[in-house]
Amino acid sequence: MTIQRTYEEINTKIRSGKAVIVTAEEIIPIVKEKGIEKATEEIDVVTTGTFGPMCSSGTIINFGHSDPPIRMQKVWLNDVEAYAGLAAVDVYLGATQLSESQGMEYGGAHVIEDLISGKKIKLKAISQGTDCYPRREIESYITKESINQAVLFNPRNGYQNYNVAVNTSDRKIYTYMGILLPNIGNANYCTSSQLSPLLNDPEFITIGIGTRIFLGGAQGYIAWEGTQFYPQMLKGEEGKAIYKGGTLAVVGDLKKMSTDYIRAATFKGYGVTLVVGIGIPIPILNSKIMKNAAVKDEDIWTEIIDYSFPHLIKPSLGRVNYKQLREGNITIRGKNVPTSPLSSYAKAREIAQRLKEEILRGKFLLQEPIQKFPKENKFKSLLEIH
Amino acid sequence: MLSKKVIFTFSPQNVEKPVTYQLIKDYGLWVNILQAKFEPSLGGKLVLELKGEDEQIKEGLNFVRQIGVRIELLEQEVIWDEKKCIDCGACISICPTGVLSLDKETFKLKFDYEKCIVCGNCVEACPLQAIKVTF
Repeated sequence: MTIQRTYEEINTKIRSGKAVIVTAEEIIPIVKEKGIEKATEEIDVVTTGTFGPMCSSGTIINFGHSDPPIRMQKVWLNDVEAYAGLAAVDVYLGATQLSESQGMEYGGAHVIEDLISGKKIKLKAISQGTDCYPRREIESYITKESINQAVLFNPRNGYQNYNVAVNTSDRKIYTYMGILLPNIGNANYCTSSQLSPLLNDPEFITIGIGTRIFLGGAQGYIAWEGTQFYPQMLKGEEGKAIYKGGTLAVVGDLKKMSTDYIRAATFKGYGVTLVVGIGIPIPILNSKIMKNAAVKDEDIWTEIIDYSFPHLIKPSLGRVNYKQLREGNITIRGKNVPTSPLSSYAKAREIAQRLKEEILRGKFLLQEPIQKFPKENKFKSLLEIH
Repeated sequence: MLSKKVIFTFSPQNVEKPVTYQLIKDYGLWVNILQAKFEPSLGGKLVLELKGEDEQIKEGLNFVRQIGVRIELLEQEVIWDEKKCIDCGACISICPTGVLSLDKETFKLKFDYEKCIVCGNCVEACPLQAIKVTF
């Protein structure tokens, strides 16, 4: 008989301490030994994790009103500008915004990290002044305790899969995929592969709007599909199908997060970004979901892309799987090329473990999506119309 | 035979001494220059790999110390801040001598100082600024 489970059945088991939970890594040998059906019968939840640079991130902050009050029109936090085109004391601080005094050494992501770690942040705001908000300038300090809200809202996180970046030119290039050495001197990739949330539920059967997730050390939610969401599978070479473009918009309480799972980073010559820790539990409702969650590195393919090409569509140098990439060397055009991950596998594993423990302790219940993501989406380019 | 990687720091007073020549000729050491940076009349730094018998290396280094050159082991000038490091691995593929790797079990970063030539590639590749070279 094929197993069917509901979210409520799983949550009941979690509450009574009887749920069986394993990580997306631990499930692989279990399925290999027992088969999909038996594993489906025994396992209730598979936990995933990822910890990588995710540029499309930022935080909504409400400072509270000063006396006399100000309608902030331009705002800087530690010299990093936050977008103030909202109500009087609301801003959105983007992770990649650079400091006006320190350039690439400090940016929005660093402010976010400093805020989480409880440091004092310098606030400066200016305004033209109105009858209801007479003040024209304020300088002060804030901490996460002094402000009303700090809500992390990241419009595009958790990329399902990503390119392997190489450089065929004859000079070193500085990219968001790290430093790429000339003449295909290295190859950089950026996923937690078999542990990655969206590669373990590639068809978004259980992941959708409202899914409760581990976000930066706290509990957060999936708010929407991520920007540039593209859920379709890329076909091409036989047996090397690629899921590539699933993304998530995520939201959570920054005040409850920890710098163990959210960090600022600077890619030299490119800029500042936020390294975000995300873990998603996958409820094993049936054997199809189990089969997807048991995916292993050798079954996950991606494309090797030449980042020296300065146009939107860059040439592909072929496909490679994550088993090859994680061994440390791949062969491109007959050349042995060392590889680097930019996403921390050790941390991804820690996140999946931690999420597993939280569910086991009954602290984290599974939330069925309120609405599913679209099955198809268009990926549009920006046209220049004159 | 022992092998040691050292960094010599020269002052304006001793920058013109032919130290490498004397280490080879007078102390019979095998010397490989990994990096050299000198400013005439200001001083400089020399990264060397030395090979020889324990006693030879000891005597050679004593001689260098006596002429006023500061000696440090390479590990002291390459600082990897493990607390800052997130074990992502961005530094691995850019290292020309294979110093950095991920442990096959834990996937945490390993730093093999023996292979390091203090080129500084990892310093600029680290997104967390967790590696520093004082050279």
